[in-house]
Amino acid sequence: MRETQVEPITSSAANTVSRVGPGVGKLQKRNSPPYWMMFPALLLLIIIVVAPFLVAVYTSFTKLDQYTIANWTHAPFVGWKNYVNAFTQGNALGASAIQSVWVSIAFSLLTTIGITPIGIIAALLVNKPFRGQRWVRAMFLIPYVMPIFVNAITWRLLFMNGWGLIDRILSALHLASKNTFWLIGPHSFWAMVIADIWSSWPFVYLMVLAGLQGISDDLYESAHMDGATPIRCFFSITLPSLRPILGLALLLSTLNHFNNFTLPFIMFGTPPAPQADVLPLNVYVTSFQTFNFGLGAAMSLLTLVLMMIPAFFYIRMLRLGEES
Amino acid sequence: MPAKRLTSQRGVWNKLRAIGICIFAIMILLPISYVILISITPDSEVGSGSLLPTHFAWNNYVQMWQTVNLAQNIQNSIIISAFTGILSTIIALGAAYVLARFQFRGRKTFLLSLITMQTIPQVMMLLPLFVILVIIQNAINVHLVGQYYTVIITYMTFALPFACWLLLSYMANIPVELEEAGLVDGCTRWQVVRHIVFPLMLPGMVVSFVFSFLLAWSDVLFASVLTSPATHTVAVGLQAYIASGEAGGDVYWGQLMAASLTSGLPIVIIFLFFQKYIMGGLASGAVKG
Repeated sequence: MRETQVEPITSSAANTVSRVGPGVGKLQKRNSPPYWMMFPALLLLIIIVVAPFLVAVYTSFTKLDQYTIANWTHAPFVGWKNYVNAFTQGNALGASAIQSVWVSIAFSLLTTIGITPIGIIAALLVNKPFRGQRWVRAMFLIPYVMPIFVNAITWRLLFMNGWGLIDRILSALHLASKNTFWLIGPHSFWAMVIADIWSSWPFVYLMVLAGLQGISDDLYESAHMDGATPIRCFFSITLPSLRPILGLALLLSTLNHFNNFTLPFIMFGTPPAPQADVLPLNVYVTSFQTFNFGLGAAMSLLTLVLMMIPAFFYIRMLRLGEES
Repeated sequence: MPAKRLTSQRGVWNKLRAIGICIFAIMILLPISYVILISITPDSEVGSGSLLPTHFAWNNYVQMWQTVNLAQNIQNSIIISAFTGILSTIIALGAAYVLARFQFRGRKTFLLSLITMQTIPQVMMLLPLFVILVIIQNAINVHLVGQYYTVIITYMTFALPFACWLLLSYMANIPVELEEAGLVDGCTRWQVVRHIVFPLMLPGMVVSFVFSFLLAWSDVLFASVLTSPATHTVAVGLQAYIASGEAGGDVYWGQLMAASLTSGLPIVIIFLFFQKYIMGGLASGAVKG
């Protein structure tokens, strides 16, 4: 998944699921479903998602490295040792897993908090028709539809020490030294946050824009009659109406930013500064650069457990339970 | 009097909107302009004191094809992304149809696992897929890592669950009565799907293809482990420029930026071309209902 690019439509299933269940036609209920149409997808998903998932669980309990990978089933079984190590040592090159957990949590929360107001303002700006609306809307999508690796390269360039645009501007304004070193050391966390906010705010914008279409004009008219100011209207009508879709957007954004691998990987290379060593990147370095596959698997399962917290709320929002 | 207040308010609002849009335009276009500027700056002048180069090095756009095998990389990306898009969309269509139209045992479990699959971190799938591929390779003595079909199938681990969800939400907007009428008139299930569902689902399938294509095009993680020099995608090709810098060599910044623009812009154009469908699908799926 281009970490952020996919969500809008994924989320569009939100109301769908509750809609399709009991409403299926009576006629179709009597026939038995054409299972054969579903089997290719089912089979493929079992082979390429379920089976690897089980392998990951098994691997996380073994000491699998580049020497034992050829003979995977005979890799020594070490029980919970990898999980213990994940908390205590991490990989040999970068931050420990527990440190990465905090980096990832801070990163995904900060970016989500950052993109929300930007996205809402952008959507409000282009919601009502005006001349050139189509062009502005198209322009707003550019950061979002650029492949994420292009964005990462762009920001790597912008943050280059001494001559990157950021350092040039900041030093011209006397706000920071020309040698701030954004790509190595503690500043890299903020470089990553800024780059990610730039690339992903149009996601909130898209969701809010879709949400705005659903608000009836009558509400605004009657509020206007009652003498409500535009600001009052925004906080009393617009924002409450947007609440469900905003909730969904924030959850999905948190989930997807937590999974963001590409941006720090391209911006900083490996290993990154410990301050920017997000969990997916840490798993990658552990698995494919220090070849500690067992530890890598244990760390990725820990990632999954953490992801289950927002995922749980996401699934509840989809209201799967209501249909039967 | 109220009418006058309304128009003056509208005037203020228009001004505010114009200012707001300008701020956004700067925010979006400034980084891109800097990339364009560097892409036509000679490498000797990148990083020098002045922002504007003394002369423009248009030949960055020529040389970038030689430094890295960019043409081959782009071709690989097109093949891999196109097949990922087509296969995911077709296979997901069947599943989405059954899931949207029928109640059966295990349906809820299927839906739930589809969502769960989308929350699984990609990096978590890479490791076991790699292990499985190595095992199969050793067992049957055929080289799998680095083949087109291997990369395409691994991309489907995330493209397929996503395409299922997407098509499911489109299917829910097609009235089931149309199909019932067809069945009453004596069509078989297959004829109903082929002549009624298929044409109506076409916009949804286009969006599903475009998104799956993009997922595959943007991926760096799977590609960096599962492709070989012959099948490197464009994302891996661009990394070669950066890697040479990390190894102590020169980074051809001009060429790297030219290559980035070349591999990013077609995607932007495709997306903007389908913008109406994408926004429409979003609105109909998420808001109505």
